[in-house]
Amino acid sequence: MHQSTKKWLVIKFSSIILIPLMFWFIVNLASIYDESYIEIVNFFSKTSSKALYSLFLIAAFSFFSLTISEVFEDYIKDKKIKNVATKILYVFAIIIPLITISSILSLN
Amino acid sequence: MYEKNPLSPHLQIYRWHLSMILSIAHRIIGVVNSIAIILICLWSISLLFGEENYEIIKFFFQSLIGKLLITSLSWSFSFHILSEIRHLIWDLGYGFDLKISKITGIITIIGSLVLTVLISLLGKNLI
Repeated sequence: MHQSTKKWLVIKFSSIILIPLMFWFIVNLASIYDESYIEIVNFFSKTSSKALYSLFLIAAFSFFSLTISEVFEDYIKDKKIKNVATKILYVFAIIIPLITISSILSLN
Repeated sequence: MYEKNPLSPHLQIYRWHLSMILSIAHRIIGVVNSIAIILICLWSISLLFGEENYEIIKFFFQSLIGKLLITSLSWSFSFHILSEIRHLIWDLGYGFDLKISKITGIITIIGSLVLTVLISLLGKNLI
């Protein structure tokens, strides 16, 4: 399978997973964002919230890093700059969700 | 050779139409949402610093700007969800007809506004 086909399939697969998770997250965010610290920690302490939030972050960062790399492909002409920008993007797309998920998992 | 490729005419050359506006909006909102998700990550990480340090974030979210920010985020997420569904339908080979494409575009815009209201009401347990 061609590399571009694989990339397209990953984008489509992550978007299918992301759509219901995005809806789940935004509804919950709208209900807790202005609540007290205890209420928010209680929300993130539930096993279901931890699992769904982690899945949401993994799907979101996979989807957005791949689609933003497409934007780089279209608008950055210099090959070297494009490669560096894409690599930095991928590193951040791994580090940020990893730190966030591990911090949420440590909440009780 | 890559540099000698012909350039597509700039955006101001084309006559603006709905599909073009939605395509540009889909890209811009995608970038905005990815920045928003990074901020959401920082917000959830901030919970580790304890209740006292969280007070300033709570104060911000209870302000008018905080509420406007969450409503805007609800709209940008809603728009992205509906626009992505539109793209998935295209990927299945449906909805390319100009008339259908215009109708699904209008549904995306109006639907995103309706979904924003629904999210706000669901969030506050009003429905």
